[in-house]
Amino acid sequence: MKKTALSAMAAVLAACGGSERAVSNDPFCQAVLPMVDAYLERVRSENPTPDDDRYGGTIVVGGYGEISDGMNAAVSGDNTATQHQNFVNLMTLIDYDERFEPRPYLAESWEMSPDSLEITFHIRRDVFWHDGQQTDAHDVAFTWDVVTDPLTAFPNAAFWDHWVHGPEGVEVVDDFTVRLHLTRIHADFLDPWRQTAILPEHLLGDVPRDSLRQHPFGTQCPVGNGPFVFNEHRTNERWVFDANPAFPASLGGRPFVDRYIYRIVPDQTTLLTELLTENVDVYISVIPDHAQSVLDDPALELKRFMQRQYIFVGWNSRRPQLADARVRRALTMGTDRESIVRSVVRGYGTVAHTGVPPFHWAFDPNAVEPLPYDPEAARALLDEAGWRDRDGDGVRESADGTRLSFVIKYNTNQTRQQVAEIMQSQLAQIGVEAQPQVVEYTTLMSQIQTPSLRDFDAIVLGWSADFKLDDTDLFHSERIDRPYAFSGTRNPEMDRLLEAISNTADREQAKELWTEYQAVLVAEQPYTFVYFPDRLDGVNRRVRNVVMDTRGDWVNVKDWYLDPASR
Amino acid sequence: MTRYVAGRVIGAVPLVIGIATIVFFAVSLAPGEPGILYIAPGLTQEVIEQMRANFGLDEPVYVRYVKWLGAMLTGDFGYSFSHSRPVLDVLLEFLPNTLLLSGCALLVAFVFGTVIGTLQAVRQYSLRDSAASVVLLFFYSMPSFWLALMLVLMFSLFARNVWDWPFWLPASGMTSTDHDFLSFGGQVWDRVVHLILPVVSLALVLTAGIARYMRASMLEVIRQDYIRTARAKGLSERVVVFKHAMRNSMIPIITLLGLQIPVLFGGTVFIETIFAWPGMGRAIVDAIGTRDYPLIMGGSFFFATIVVLANLVADVLYAVVDPRIRYD
Amino acid sequence: MTDGARRTLSAVLPGAGQLAAGRWGAGGTALLVWLGCSTVLIMRADRVAPAIGGSWDEKLAVFALAAGLVGSWLWSWRDVARATTTKQVGISQWDLARRAFSKNRTAVAGLMIIVALYLLALLTPLLAPYDPAAQGNLVTERFVGMSSAHPLGTDQFARDVLSRLLYGARISLLIGFVAVGISVTIGTLLGAVAGYVGGVVDGAIMRFVDMMVSFPQLVLLITIVAVFQPSIFVIIAVLGLTTWPTTARIVRGETLSLREREFVQAARALGYSKRRIILRHVIPNTLAPVIVAATLGIGQTIVLEAGLSFLSLGVQPPTPSWGTMVADGRLVLLEAWWLSTFPGLAIVFTVLSFNLVGDGLRDALDPRLRA
Repeated sequence: MKKTALSAMAAVLAACGGSERAVSNDPFCQAVLPMVDAYLERVRSENPTPDDDRYGGTIVVGGYGEISDGMNAAVSGDNTATQHQNFVNLMTLIDYDERFEPRPYLAESWEMSPDSLEITFHIRRDVFWHDGQQTDAHDVAFTWDVVTDPLTAFPNAAFWDHWVHGPEGVEVVDDFTVRLHLTRIHADFLDPWRQTAILPEHLLGDVPRDSLRQHPFGTQCPVGNGPFVFNEHRTNERWVFDANPAFPASLGGRPFVDRYIYRIVPDQTTLLTELLTENVDVYISVIPDHAQSVLDDPALELKRFMQRQYIFVGWNSRRPQLADARVRRALTMGTDRESIVRSVVRGYGTVAHTGVPPFHWAFDPNAVEPLPYDPEAARALLDEAGWRDRDGDGVRESADGTRLSFVIKYNTNQTRQQVAEIMQSQLAQIGVEAQPQVVEYTTLMSQIQTPSLRDFDAIVLGWSADFKLDDTDLFHSERIDRPYAFSGTRNPEMDRLLEAISNTADREQAKELWTEYQAVLVAEQPYTFVYFPDRLDGVNRRVRNVVMDTRGDWVNVKDWYLDPASR
Repeated sequence: MTRYVAGRVIGAVPLVIGIATIVFFAVSLAPGEPGILYIAPGLTQEVIEQMRANFGLDEPVYVRYVKWLGAMLTGDFGYSFSHSRPVLDVLLEFLPNTLLLSGCALLVAFVFGTVIGTLQAVRQYSLRDSAASVVLLFFYSMPSFWLALMLVLMFSLFARNVWDWPFWLPASGMTSTDHDFLSFGGQVWDRVVHLILPVVSLALVLTAGIARYMRASMLEVIRQDYIRTARAKGLSERVVVFKHAMRNSMIPIITLLGLQIPVLFGGTVFIETIFAWPGMGRAIVDAIGTRDYPLIMGGSFFFATIVVLANLVADVLYAVVDPRIRYD
Repeated sequence: MTDGARRTLSAVLPGAGQLAAGRWGAGGTALLVWLGCSTVLIMRADRVAPAIGGSWDEKLAVFALAAGLVGSWLWSWRDVARATTTKQVGISQWDLARRAFSKNRTAVAGLMIIVALYLLALLTPLLAPYDPAAQGNLVTERFVGMSSAHPLGTDQFARDVLSRLLYGARISLLIGFVAVGISVTIGTLLGAVAGYVGGVVDGAIMRFVDMMVSFPQLVLLITIVAVFQPSIFVIIAVLGLTTWPTTARIVRGETLSLREREFVQAARALGYSKRRIILRHVIPNTLAPVIVAATLGIGQTIVLEAGLSFLSLGVQPPTPSWGTMVADGRLVLLEAWWLSTFPGLAIVFTVLSFNLVGDGLRDALDPRLRA
């Protein structure tokens, strides 16, 4: 009986195959994928691998989350997806060098008109889509049209704030020249073109914009023009890409590795184990508690850089106990942010005083007088604001009896939980009662962002602090009924400065304004900015030439190569 | 018998639809929506509205329900928001993975459970019996995810890095990354090796349950007259136990297996998360977090159907195997 | 050894007399309780007096301490006495069951562990070395291994694991008990009604049971907890309301067979109302399998709660529960193994004990299984 069971099992296993490539049965994919395969074969024979022992091998990168919208740059929002679009499968017009200055990528050059309201991009002529068609200015114009079309619901619509939207904003001068129009200039106006990959017009041009999201191009059969060609995507399991031999030589040519695989491993302990047992080469976003294990292993190295993100506690100043800016400043002074960074993220982070990250050009460490950790001063400030412990229960009350007590909400994330719990303990020492409460992420977002609800007192959250910084949506009083103004800030000085910054093109002038703005921000304290987390990645030393910095983890994936001895 | 089966099948249809309906309304009325995951400052109200429309969520709940029900009855389960693919395709991609895992676990548990239960019953209250009970219950009482993580650490990490064993198991995944380049035999072996830890994690709990039922069932059967007759006839104890008693004791185990199916499908989410196994449990749990309504509905529908069918098959098998049972 | 000698022995050291008579289960329990309470009294003598005037929690602990000391002494003395003086005229079902149970060593061991557990849970305010929510120095005292200051180490907030383990016992046991209480009550009532009344009512209830079973339980759990925010009440309610179908089925089965028994027919003949018959005649006789199901259910619920915590939908911080502790520690299994291991072992041994007791009860109460 056991023998039959075993052979039955073997038959089942064999039947489940697995050696077959996962191919979608969608008609678009059925038509497109053979063309991609044919193209790959052709360019492989036309571009033989150079005789250099750096070429070859497979790299496996392990990450926590699936790339939800895949390579569809028009609808995706998350960081991993964007990086794979920009650095792996597709191309952007420009990218940044190590000093965050723009340099040509898909666009080989560009020039501005004298009044700075027009920019003309010249597109490279040696880039081809992976089905054989050439990439040209029509693709750029098409992409522009798509992302500015309201029907697409492009998530980062704010990118194009300073640009003229729709077909009036773009002009195809010739097959490789495209001109775009701005409404006004901004210091970081080129940044959106670093973030948004160009999509193929010949494949997606006829798709109705409001169903672009469901098109199989995103997750089932993307056709890119970048250094890696799509091979297969097994949902919730892995993405497989092959090196593109026809990638322009002046941009580095064919990637060194033959194959790039992104594996989805939804448990961090398992992911760490896979890295330590050398089953994956890279562990993306190592949690701080695992950093030591990576450092202890001589075969691994820990990459560390500042993320474009900050963690903060947002105060709802519509609540009576949080309405006074002095109270909020006292709460910040009562929180030992330094010890939070040292404990919660084990030192892999930098204390934040405003939302301007240290790597940003507008950052000036001496410009702003930060609020120190000073419980004595905090207590004094609370006393001054009229909050005293009148009934001896350890919690302060105002003159009319309102207790200085509130609920700190956070989503199911260990780090944020720790921040909330630590604050609870520290604030108790200055007579403030903070009760942490965990709420599921989606429910929480709808609670704080629905303008009629704003059902929260305080919330631990993280925002991205991108290269193009703009706090208007967060703190400008005109936006107070929009989703993100959940702090409820009304400060005319802040409004004035936010508007001025938005209209200044010159970085020098803008920097002065930023300094003024940050001073006002510290006084107002709509948020307690806690820290800028570092991003940690665990990389097996056999992978060479890995550069990971604030631009991204995958920024030079096409230049990674494997130590020949390890293959 | 056929009338009974037909009756059950017909009765199952409103049951499954009822379940799907409840899930639909429960999830739709929960706060939040799929668009929330894209929320970042700069996203205007118009974009959010458009996104909602693109997801098909701009209509009132009951309109959406009727549309969904209508589509479902024709086999169209809609598009999954988080995977940008038809729901049916997504579920059919995950189903074999879950079946493989659960099927192997069930098989292993059945084999080991019945044998251990039998051996326990034959020596009731002996040291063997008590020891086996305690050991099995020990594993049965463990939170499955903790057990799974311990196994991963022991047999994957420590085996390789700390204890220097010659052989260690992969920590996760269904196949290794160079699976496509292996020979056929290599591929089968690759799959087996990746199945070992997840199956053991699942099967340990099941084995304990099956062993206990088997033990109870055997104890009853062993006291029957026909067993005494068999012994009196001079048959060896081994034949008596394994050929006659065991077969008759397995009858309630079959129903038990049927009842374990919902547990297997619903409870695998922890194992699937830890072992990065792309299965249905994980897919549905992720779908709840991202408010991927079509996928949640489709998944619940699938799940309910499988459970109902499994129960039906178990009941039918029970009647077939035990001539004393009659449903007419 | 004479009876008198044994009685004197028990007066001096509770449990000793029973042990001398060979009744190691009863003797062991009495001894354990008495020794445990005495140790606590000696080690924590300084805390007892203030506790008397403290919160109800602490008052309960002192009361339990006193009850433990006095109770074990009295019971042990009386039990020895009783065993020797009462003459067995007739043996009741429950006595038979009790005897069979006492012979089952593992079941008795399980019972002893449960008693010890409850004692620990009650005495926690006196026993725990630290406040479970008190955070130590976040820079130096996080993830400290087992040491003399912290016998079981500290967690990510520099809180003492041992104290959290003790307080967590109460939460986990509370959740287990109340959820199972709800589940068993609903299940028994519905099962008995379905089995006794039969017909349409039976059909309707069983359809309902089928539906609950076919429901993807996890989906329901997650959705409800996500919507209503995880708190002890929500978790207990949800766990209780989703696990009653098994009990219902068992009770229905038993009721179906009980229906035709003479005493039920007699009650019907006497004209008693259905409600009275169900409540006073049927249900008390289905208690045996219900008790078994309940003990097994407590174990199951504790493990389920751990699972919910794994998905971050368990009890709110800083309240400790074993499930939350195991889940919180799973990210640092390599760096700080003690965080998950001790609560994990606690869960295993608790659930194991409940299961052993449940098994023992089942074996003891079922006349067909006794050797």
